[in-house]
Amino acid sequence: MSKQKGRGKRSKPVVGDRAKEVVESIDDNNPVIIMFREYAAQLDDKHDKYERIVKHSRDITIESKRIIFLLHNSNTDIDSKKQSILEEADKRLKAVVDTNLRAVAEELREEDGYQFLRAYTNGLQEFIEALTFYQFIKNDNIDDWNKINHMFKYEDETGQEFKLLFPQYEFILGIADFTGELMRRCINTLGVGNIEDCFKLCNFVRHINTGVLGLMSHGNKELSRKAYVLRQSLEKMELVCYNIQIRGTEIPKHMLISVIESSDVKDDIDEGFY
Amino acid sequence: MSAVTAQDRMTLNMTFVCQGKKPHDYINAEQDIREEIRKIMKDIEKPLREITTVLQVIHHEPNVEQLNAACLNARHIFEEVRQGYAALDNIIPTNQYYRYNDHWRFATQRLCFLAALVVFIETGILISKETAAEILGINNKTNIHLDLEDYLMGILNMASELARFAVNSVTFGDYERPLQISKFVAQLNAGFRLLNLKNDSLRKRFDALKYDVKKIEEVVYDLSIRGLSQHAGGGEGSAKGPQE
Repeated sequence: MSKQKGRGKRSKPVVGDRAKEVVESIDDNNPVIIMFREYAAQLDDKHDKYERIVKHSRDITIESKRIIFLLHNSNTDIDSKKQSILEEADKRLKAVVDTNLRAVAEELREEDGYQFLRAYTNGLQEFIEALTFYQFIKNDNIDDWNKINHMFKYEDETGQEFKLLFPQYEFILGIADFTGELMRRCINTLGVGNIEDCFKLCNFVRHINTGVLGLMSHGNKELSRKAYVLRQSLEKMELVCYNIQIRGTEIPKHMLISVIESSDVKDDIDEGFY
Repeated sequence: MSAVTAQDRMTLNMTFVCQGKKPHDYINAEQDIREEIRKIMKDIEKPLREITTVLQVIHHEPNVEQLNAACLNARHIFEEVRQGYAALDNIIPTNQYYRYNDHWRFATQRLCFLAALVVFIETGILISKETAAEILGINNKTNIHLDLEDYLMGILNMASELARFAVNSVTFGDYERPLQISKFVAQLNAGFRLLNLKNDSLRKRFDALKYDVKKIEEVVYDLSIRGLSQHAGGGEGSAKGPQE
């Protein structure tokens, strides 16, 4: 009878007993255990690969950010200095393609790249941002997807080709980020007093904005978010152009920047309510 | 003048990059494939619902014949599922399984669960990944395969269903079934403990397994304490005696 009294609250510590018994009685030859050992190995392999790619991606992001910072310094009138910065940027961009991105591509050989796309999408976008920014400063122009996609083709020692998965969609996201740098550069150029460049940059971003709007057909979260940021950058730049146009004759060029920065603040507050 | 030409060039280039044919074609093509996939998923989800309904008979005081008939029936309906997956295999581009797999992941998990349940009722053993893929018709396909995580998710879903099955079996006077289930789920639990799970959905689902184990254990305990089960009766009861 004492057994029945044991029910209720005190049943909890006893309840697991049978499970424990079974677990203890399971030996290494149990078919379920053998099966799960194999699954565990498969899962570990996959997770390890994912983590390795994330690491590469982080390295790519850091180096790309540094290259972008370097390129912002190219905003100078001295041609030789600009040239040397561009050369260095070019060298470093190539190094990223040949080492980090190659490492990712090697991990993805024989794999479905889309399975691991999320592991390296951030690095890839940041790299595209740096690359297009470099191309824009150098040529006033950026390459199209085909040309850039071609950069990600590699060959191993035996001459076998493999390539990094580079969806067009990632390219567009990278370009959207790149407009942020253009906005920064537009403000900086103004500080130097280079007004023509402001209009040029603003116009370029306008075209990108038009292009991105044309792609917004499906409800993609990340693209919508970036399109929103892009629009904000563009509005800021358009305001700069507006100010140059309307006050350019009243105020000395080097003081325009303070006018625009003060109106920037107002603009940001407005966005809050928008 | 040179600035103007540079700008024109830029305009042309941006037209090419963003408004031109390439990205649009690409996105439209992707939309078309997704539309096709959605159509096929409808064909897969219909038998999925049917099998789910058919197998609910386990909770309705079944006798052995009814159980067998339900399993046979389920296996019969699985044929439609296999046709669906064959169609899916045809439209997924090579090496793009993971680009679109959001569309069928959930259904595949449910189907794994149903296949696992059928195999358990028929034989009492755990379905292997290969068998599951076979029943679903996604073995030996070129562009689609059974993802390990989907299979494992299905197994975990089965554990919850078995917990319910254990409770209902007792209600219908079948005191042996819970013991079988208990042993089975304990093995499952031990197996899952071997996996190094990341902090993802599978991990969360696995964390819920312990509640199923607990529920089943409570049923077994209730049976053994009353001596209602031949196997768990005397031995179990006396084993627990000293702990009081």
